[in-house]
Amino acid sequence: MKDFLATFKHDTWVMPYLRKYKKLLALTLFLGLMTFFCGSALMFNSGYLISKAARHPYNILMIYVPVVLTRAFGIGRPAFRYAERITSHNWVLRIVSDFRKKLYQAVSKHAVAIRQNFQTGDVLSLLADDIDHIENLYLRTVFPTVIAWTMYVLIVLALGYFTWWFGLLMLLLLGLVVIVMPLWSVLINGARESRGRQIQQGFYTQLTDAVMGLGDWLISGRQQDFYDRQTKPISEIAALRRQDHRFQWWRDFTIQLIFGVICLALLVWSSFYWTTNQASANWIAAFVLSVFPLVDAMQSVSQGVSEWPSYQRSIKRVNALDTAPIDDHDQTKLTEPFALLRVADLNYAYPQTQRPIFHGLNLTLTAGEKLALLGPSGTGKSTLLRLILGDLTPDAGAVQLNDVPIARLQNERAQLFGVLDQQPYLFNTTIMNNVRMGNEDASDAEVRAALKAVALEPLIQSLPDGYETVVEEGGSRFSGGERQRLALARILLQDAPIIILDEPTVSLDPITESKLLDTVFEVLQDKTILWVTHHLAGIDHVDQVRFLEDGQFDMAGTPEELYRREARFRRLYELDRGQEGV
Amino acid sequence: MFDPALFKLPGMRRLTVILSLLAVIEGLCIIGQATALSVAIVGLWHLHGLATIVQPMLWFALAWSARQLLVVGKNHLMYPFVERTTGDLRRRVMQKLYQLGPSYVAKTGTGNVVTTALEGIDKVQTYLMLVVIKVIDMLVIPWVILIFIAIIRWREALFLLAIFPLIIIFMIILGYAAQAKADRQYVGYQRMSNHFVDTLRGLPTLKQLGLSRQYANNVYQVSEGYRKQTLAVIKIAMLSTFALDFFTTLSIAVVAVFLGFGLIDGTISLLPALIILVLAPDYFLPLRQFASDYHATLNGKNAFAAVQKMLALPVATERQQLGTQPLNWTANSSLSLQAVDFSYDGAQPALKKINLTATGFQRIGIIGASGSGKSTLINLLGGFLTPMPGHGTISVNGQPVTHLSQQAWQQSFFYIPQHPYLFHATLAENIAFYQPAAGISAIGRAADKAGLTAWIKTLPAGLETKIGEGARGVSGGQAQRIALARAFLDDRRKILLFDEPTAHLDIETEAALKQTILPVLDQHLVFFATHRLHWINQMDYVLVLDHGQIVEQGTPAELAQHNGAYVRLRQEMGGAI
Repeated sequence: MKDFLATFKHDTWVMPYLRKYKKLLALTLFLGLMTFFCGSALMFNSGYLISKAARHPYNILMIYVPVVLTRAFGIGRPAFRYAERITSHNWVLRIVSDFRKKLYQAVSKHAVAIRQNFQTGDVLSLLADDIDHIENLYLRTVFPTVIAWTMYVLIVLALGYFTWWFGLLMLLLLGLVVIVMPLWSVLINGARESRGRQIQQGFYTQLTDAVMGLGDWLISGRQQDFYDRQTKPISEIAALRRQDHRFQWWRDFTIQLIFGVICLALLVWSSFYWTTNQASANWIAAFVLSVFPLVDAMQSVSQGVSEWPSYQRSIKRVNALDTAPIDDHDQTKLTEPFALLRVADLNYAYPQTQRPIFHGLNLTLTAGEKLALLGPSGTGKSTLLRLILGDLTPDAGAVQLNDVPIARLQNERAQLFGVLDQQPYLFNTTIMNNVRMGNEDASDAEVRAALKAVALEPLIQSLPDGYETVVEEGGSRFSGGERQRLALARILLQDAPIIILDEPTVSLDPITESKLLDTVFEVLQDKTILWVTHHLAGIDHVDQVRFLEDGQFDMAGTPEELYRREARFRRLYELDRGQEGV
Repeated sequence: MFDPALFKLPGMRRLTVILSLLAVIEGLCIIGQATALSVAIVGLWHLHGLATIVQPMLWFALAWSARQLLVVGKNHLMYPFVERTTGDLRRRVMQKLYQLGPSYVAKTGTGNVVTTALEGIDKVQTYLMLVVIKVIDMLVIPWVILIFIAIIRWREALFLLAIFPLIIIFMIILGYAAQAKADRQYVGYQRMSNHFVDTLRGLPTLKQLGLSRQYANNVYQVSEGYRKQTLAVIKIAMLSTFALDFFTTLSIAVVAVFLGFGLIDGTISLLPALIILVLAPDYFLPLRQFASDYHATLNGKNAFAAVQKMLALPVATERQQLGTQPLNWTANSSLSLQAVDFSYDGAQPALKKINLTATGFQRIGIIGASGSGKSTLINLLGGFLTPMPGHGTISVNGQPVTHLSQQAWQQSFFYIPQHPYLFHATLAENIAFYQPAAGISAIGRAADKAGLTAWIKTLPAGLETKIGEGARGVSGGQAQRIALARAFLDDRRKILLFDEPTAHLDIETEAALKQTILPVLDQHLVFFATHRLHWINQMDYVLVLDHGQIVEQGTPAELAQHNGAYVRLRQEMGGAI
């Protein structure tokens, strides 16, 4: 229970929305209630109708009202149910729209911390799934429970009106069904849930491992090991499911037995209360028969509530997101055109580690200069870029544009920096829309001109839908080199003075790479360029080369200088050209 | 409703018979429970005392409990069968996967394969558990109840009989209408539901472009559009549930009114009328229960079909043409391919007329522009792909084979791709993957030869450190070194297949790694596909591929003399600098 309350203590995702569309919510609950009311009322009324009719009333008009009511309830139940389904979905989907916007805003604050690799992609899908999950929390748990509880209160009050002790008895018996059993379910399930997830997760990891390493399994010839490895998780999963099923069967059985007892109790109560005269005895069948339609509504509460632990996880996860608004009161603008990028005495260590990445690093880049940055992976090339962009804050030292600290230019970023990274993201829309994202005000002619500059015109014109071709998910319609060119066109429209190239050619073959680099440096010739690269192909395009090693630049100079002066550079250069004999 | 493949499952027929019998008994319990309850109510209606209805109340309690016990009993009976079947399916899927090999995974996608084996079979389990019992109930219980009602009074029975097919017809018609509407909207629908994830994944790019703030409203608008479209579909889709609800509740109302008039006319007395009224909802119950799980069963049915389809895929046979033991590859051994074709789709050849002969410990470089078929050729040589039957011949040491997916051949080579897969296990287990029995000192020596020692010293648990899970924490260069350590550990495998091992590495890492790779190439037959030209200097034979064909082959020196494809390719690639 404490755990339950703790989930909602700082909740900004579930409770506020229950208040937001109040009227629609009330309507949904009302319709749900009416559905079950009509179901019970139909049987109640029918029971009364035939009991009354069996007394052979001298006039058919005596049973006219129950006849009409029977039909009304018969039609009312499906109609209310249909309306309830529509309104509840409408309500939930409205909430989802709000959720999505909110999730988007929360995630976008940390947008750059999200590198576009598949792991973070998974995290994002997970968050998107969480939202769908909360959607189910309402549809499968909250609504049915609230409706069942309302029914519960109404029934107890109504029966208590006739006989107080019978009302109390029903309070107890139905309370077993709608309160005790659900609580029991959630307790049992909560304990099992975490273990179940563990097993499931274990099996998932195991399977992915097996599938991705299938080539190695095959050539290792360890066929039997491969089969044996799956046996344990398969039987663990089976055991887990078995327990789940058994619990559900016996729980439902118990609930049904309670309803059997309720029927018998009604009969006993009727024998005392309704057998005073013939007219009142007509109500006995009505009361007893109206129990059966309730079974459905009340039984489903246990299952719905037992799913709570999985919803709880989703709620905790989205609540952990930082939804506070961004503080930008000290943001400013660059008044002069960009002239100088300066990194001075920069110190930086990753949080939670002692190992410094940079110690007293200095770098100056004047407008129009082009610099290549090399170094083995793990030396902090990407970290340096993130410091320069202002996504990370230096421990000491400064990163400045024209003497303004980069931290104060964050709102201006898109006007100052254009970024082309390893996998620029293409959205699942047309080529025109994707490129126009660089500058929303660009005319069609300007977009086409940019595409022409990056040498994509012939390709696009050969496509059946031309410029309106949809790039498909992740740009999968196009090859790696073509995707980079599309992103380059976007950057051309963006027209920022500084361009960051973050290993844009790492996954390309040498021919595509060299052609792309030619285009990049040709169209960006008047820009300031900071280029992180993994090898020396195209190095002649730049004015300056820096090798980053152990937080310092250990080789620096123009490519020609380095080639003359540094044997190591020369060797790497020859290797890259394929000249090295070793 | 019932997939015919279900009946082919072992034990299914026997189970069907038993479950049907239990359903009949359940039907009888329902009748007993309704009758006992009605007798008790009528007793009270006649103003008799509580003592007179004790007996029917007991009978009711008995029948009610028996009925609920039967429900549990049927599940208990069904479950071992379901468990056995799904466990069996999982095992068969894994075995099939092993036979189909990595080319199947590449084609289908890792995610899809895992989903089929995990969630797919979970769905099959739900499907089996739900569908069998519910369908049998639906086919048996209503008839039992109907016959009983007919014995009491044929008119109501006739009405109930007539309404049953009507409901089903309406549900089917409305179901189709909803499907048609959903299909028409599907494309837009799908795009909108994917839009959100698409936007989230593209967030870094949006931020770079300065669009991330204004896009929040776009997300909301698209989601609202999605809501409206979804509601439009739901309105129709829910109609079939509405029809079911409408006809069943209205039927009960109609029966009640019929009975009321019958009672006034005196053609029926209260007891039988009440029994019929109590039974009417139970008559429809199995149908409603089946319909409420219809979607779950539909998913399960599709998953079941997908699994069956995978299990029916053809696999390479004749995998033991070279025996089952690893080959003893020596300086005199030879591999020859003559006019071999390969195609991914059975129509368009991806490799054409491949002729090559490799003998002893040759080092063969494979070069070509991207898309020329280098990786395809390596995969063919590794037996991960099988050539088009009847196109050309392959022989190993003079022994003709239909493909290279030979157990003996595959146990004789190492395959080192661009991204070697690292298992979610300790570093030692990863290195010893091909030699699980190897001792820790041998593993340490192999790691040392592969240049891993310095790195291992920085790891918290040294060789016992857990790595893997998408190779997290292991750089590209280190992953290559781990793959090389596997080769150092097992020196009986004399054939090496490299597929672009250094393409993605930075130049310094590549230079250092090359020093480690070079000694491995000695005394091995090497196939080395690459576009990093410096490797060619270490090869003694080169195949130049273009559009799936070997356009030139010879020693590097020979090829350099010709002004052919080799020279042109070198120029084009070297032009990058």
